[in-house]
Amino acid sequence: MKINPQSFFNFCANHAPLLRALSERGGELSETEVMRLIHANPSAIEELPETARRRLRELQILVPTEPGSELLFMAEPLSRLLTYLFNEANPATPEIIRGYVMSLETTGKQLGRALDEEDVQRVKLAFDEISLTLRRIHADLNETQHAILAEVARYKTERARVSVREKYRLIVHWMERYVEPMIEIVRADGPMRAAFDETERLLYRAREEALFNDHPALVRNLRFLRLVSAHALRVFTQCRKEIQPLFESLRRSSFIAEGAARALEKLQAEGLSKWGNEYLIGVAAFRFQNVPSDMAIALALQRVIEHPPEPPPVLEFAAEKENPGALVRLMWLDSLPDLVRDDLPVEDLMGWLVKKYPERDTSDVLAGFSGLLFHNDFQAAFADEKPRAYNTTDGEIGASPLQLISA
Amino acid sequence: MNELLHLEKIFDRLKRGCHLGPDDEPEFSALSSQRFDEYAAYFAALGLTLVRHEREFFYFEPDNQEDVPITLPRIAVFSYIIIDHAANQGRPIEEFIFGQNFLITALPHFTLDRYTALLRQVDVHNVDDLRILLNRMEQIGWVKIKGLGEDEYRFLRPFHRVFSKCLEVAQSAQAAPPDASQRAAT
Repeated sequence: MKINPQSFFNFCANHAPLLRALSERGGELSETEVMRLIHANPSAIEELPETARRRLRELQILVPTEPGSELLFMAEPLSRLLTYLFNEANPATPEIIRGYVMSLETTGKQLGRALDEEDVQRVKLAFDEISLTLRRIHADLNETQHAILAEVARYKTERARVSVREKYRLIVHWMERYVEPMIEIVRADGPMRAAFDETERLLYRAREEALFNDHPALVRNLRFLRLVSAHALRVFTQCRKEIQPLFESLRRSSFIAEGAARALEKLQAEGLSKWGNEYLIGVAAFRFQNVPSDMAIALALQRVIEHPPEPPPVLEFAAEKENPGALVRLMWLDSLPDLVRDDLPVEDLMGWLVKKYPERDTSDVLAGFSGLLFHNDFQAAFADEKPRAYNTTDGEIGASPLQLISA
Repeated sequence: MNELLHLEKIFDRLKRGCHLGPDDEPEFSALSSQRFDEYAAYFAALGLTLVRHEREFFYFEPDNQEDVPITLPRIAVFSYIIIDHAANQGRPIEEFIFGQNFLITALPHFTLDRYTALLRQVDVHNVDDLRILLNRMEQIGWVKIKGLGEDEYRFLRPFHRVFSKCLEVAQSAQAAPPDASQRAAT
């Protein structure tokens, strides 16, 4: 259906905010959503929303996604026009640029054949096509650069609550989808450069063989070839420079966020007891072991200070007049093994002791008995006789006779 | 002039777990000087490793403590929560952490039930507990409270140790086989 340009542009003039909203919204739209946008962006003239909706369809500003569909989208030519008018940009995909390169290669082959056949008409057609392709490449490169820079600026300035990891994923998408593949295409030894070199060679050949007399057009194409080639590499190198710091920053932030999230997740899932030291950030701290605390030292000092004074012990340095009893006893005990050795075998050790040392008390007799019983040089055995009573100076000992022999 | 400057003061602070950054003068300048290796060698003879972090601050390498003081998990949970919150704000995390002063009363730690539950696990229940925690973090040189407004603090450069730990955790998770966690869970 033919559209009246006058009506079209009149409508556009009165509905610029609505068109912009539709353009920004992009994608498929339901009738309900279209009505919502109409209400939110009233026209400059008095008009019922229903009229605006109807005119959008009549002027083919919104077209159905497929025949009979209730979903609509903005007509592509208008979308491009609005992008141009609002100074917005859509990035060209690497596939689009690769398509241009392939188109140049095909046109180059056609030009080559036309030159071989000296077909001036086809040479001219090839020239026009090369010009068109180069202009498109140039325009799309500019638009892509524009889109990437706008996206970078948006990341830097936007404070919306989009998580760092989400942003990182998006910026990685831009890097991987647009910047890096584009650089692969346009770099000095890439496919675009090769196609351009071939095209340039053919253009020179056309000039040398005088098959194409429009020298200004030829010069223009040659100039444009060089310009687009240099421009493409510069554009994407610049894009990478713009996006790289943001990419690095977001990548680092994303990893930091991931680490923190994992640590918290583990704590939440398994509790503190199983969290372990893996997630802790160690801090040096000197630890002293078995050192008394300040309080303990203070208490000890206090006890010393508060202790009642005592006279120091007096040592007797004069020689003692009597033999010390304990020493005499110890010497007697030490001498017993030698003394008993002469009387071995002794049939009744206890009897031998009380008979030989009747002045000794019960304690001395038992100490002597034990010393001999466990001495390494002797062996003892019960004599298989009935128990007897042994009298000492301070009492009586009841015991079975014990025989003592050499070991 | 062979004497190492401010040695006693440096040792006194580092041995208590303190990190020395640009806010700690004159010790920081002494360690940042060309004589860092001499300081490191001096402490190495005592069995202590003086670490120079890539972000230019200094600390003693901690022992592998078997008996971990409770403050360490508290500090870790506090730090991970502020990072998690920063990530949700959509800004680069380091810019968020170091680019502003924080009000203790406006911290995000008790704004989500999830955060509150995590803090409860390390016995941090309210803003007063956070204040105690932040005081400890000030002692080790990770935040600065004194000299700022009431209830205000800011993070100091040594807080990068938390970022380093986060990167380490993320990298080890990525290095692990993708189905390891699933196998462990089953």
